[in-house]
Amino acid sequence: MIEVRNLTRDYGDFTAVDDISFSVEAGEILGMLGPNGAGKTTTIRMITGFLPPTRGSVTVAGHDLLRDPVRARRQIGYVPENIALYPEMRVEEYLSYRARLEGMSRGEAHSGIHQSMERCLLEDVSHQIIGTLSKGYRQRVGLAIAILHDPEVLILDEPTVGLDPKQIIAIRDLIRELGSQHTLLLSTHILPEVELLCDRVQIIDRGRIVAQGTAEGLRREWLGQRQLRVCFKEAHADAATALAALAGVEKVTPDSPSGAEFGVECEGASDPRESIFRLAVERGWVLLELVEVKASLEDIFVRLTTREDEEGSGEDSAAERDPTAAAEIDR
Amino acid sequence: MNGIYAIFTRELRAYFFSPLAYAVLTCFLFINGVSFATLIGYLNDVPSAVGAPMEYFFGGTILFWLALAFVGPILPMRLLSEERRSGSLEILMTAPVTETQVVLGKYLASLAFYLSLWLPTLVYSAIVARYSELDWGPVASAYLGIFGIGSLFLAVGIFASAVSRNQVVAALIGFALVFGLFVVGLLELMVNDEGLREAIGYLNLIQHMEDFAKGIVDTRRLVYYISGVGFFLFLSSRALAVNKWR
Repeated sequence: MIEVRNLTRDYGDFTAVDDISFSVEAGEILGMLGPNGAGKTTTIRMITGFLPPTRGSVTVAGHDLLRDPVRARRQIGYVPENIALYPEMRVEEYLSYRARLEGMSRGEAHSGIHQSMERCLLEDVSHQIIGTLSKGYRQRVGLAIAILHDPEVLILDEPTVGLDPKQIIAIRDLIRELGSQHTLLLSTHILPEVELLCDRVQIIDRGRIVAQGTAEGLRREWLGQRQLRVCFKEAHADAATALAALAGVEKVTPDSPSGAEFGVECEGASDPRESIFRLAVERGWVLLELVEVKASLEDIFVRLTTREDEEGSGEDSAAERDPTAAAEIDR
Repeated sequence: MNGIYAIFTRELRAYFFSPLAYAVLTCFLFINGVSFATLIGYLNDVPSAVGAPMEYFFGGTILFWLALAFVGPILPMRLLSEERRSGSLEILMTAPVTETQVVLGKYLASLAFYLSLWLPTLVYSAIVARYSELDWGPVASAYLGIFGIGSLFLAVGIFASAVSRNQVVAALIGFALVFGLFVVGLLELMVNDEGLREAIGYLNLIQHMEDFAKGIVDTRRLVYYISGVGFFLFLSSRALAVNKWR
């Protein structure tokens, strides 16, 4: 549904997006994950046709964005990160303006406005002036315009930024519902959001895709070793050394100052849980917890993005390295 | 075409909802009212200076040009710069409309509002017609001139709005450009070379307006306005396409 080929964007000497290629299948929800200033917004702006790429091509629903921009844009519903609407217009009035802008007929517009207001729960505020709405409602108006013309593709840039927890849950529910009817590309720097909403994830850092796959697949690929958490009732002086001596255990790290809790990193795919249990029985230690720790995407994310940093010029992130360029992109 | 119409109606409504537009309307009518009242008073007092009052009113006074030179850049100053400043340009330009359609829709809205500024001045002609003889032909051609020169100034104004993020800066750029167009024509009085003087004379807006007010319609002048409008609208849509994201 979306085909991105060798997309590159330079801002002067700074390359914000560096030769990115990927595709989004019809009906799929793809999450773009990356720290601030990684190039997510720049990539999205090129896919929506707002920003011309330095090199590369984008095809949306079979229409080349550079050769046939109007037809390609008709298939896209886009909600930018900081959505700016005309503050003096009323919600319904604004939607009907957008419907005419999309070239919808009177009948299409009427049913489209009604449906999108209903789906985005805007009926209560349909006659309110947009300037007086809260950020959460404005975000919903943004979504309503994006789905108004029933596009094939929805593109959402940081859809939950700046909302309160209750609004975040409401917007996520809405996104999940929309995902069942549209192809969805969404960017975020909030990790649980990706796990919660997306079929597939790609992690972007410094304008490059550093990893992609399902959340499960990324876990397998990047955190091969099994992680265990062991918690005894009391601290035992030789517990750490005894654990480390077991077959299949690679590393033992104390997890709490009390000295009764440990993190255990296993060798490859081996499972030393049974020997830990036997060790505890043998020594008469009371075992309170013995669990496998599921690595979160967060760990992978931190690992991928910091590893890149260490290889690079220093510890600072892309945003700190080049504040002007990052500000430019974020705007 | 749908896109142009949607943008046109939105912008025209936005004019009538904004306080600035009413401030402009009030000032504009005040200046023209003073101009008309002064002319009538003057022509009444000096019986020897008989002439057609509307001929003086249209372009014969500094007040006329002052009003036009301010209105030209001020009406369109907000149209594109504000979209860019607030960021609403992003969802406008990702809708299925081209830059040219956006520029045209907004330009036509400013033109419609400009014409509605002049509408009440028809009363002056009606007053003159009521109390004395009035030849409606020159009045019509004078309004044609107002339409032509106004179109040109508004196109300059929208170009200024396309290149700036700040509407006040846009108005100042627009004012400088309008002033430039005006001054180019005045060079006629300073050049000695016969051919050059004649060439520059074609661009003398004061001369244009004086002739329009007398009922002389010169198509070369209309061509000048049309090509000027086309040129500045083209530049505006290019400026919009080239640096949308700044």
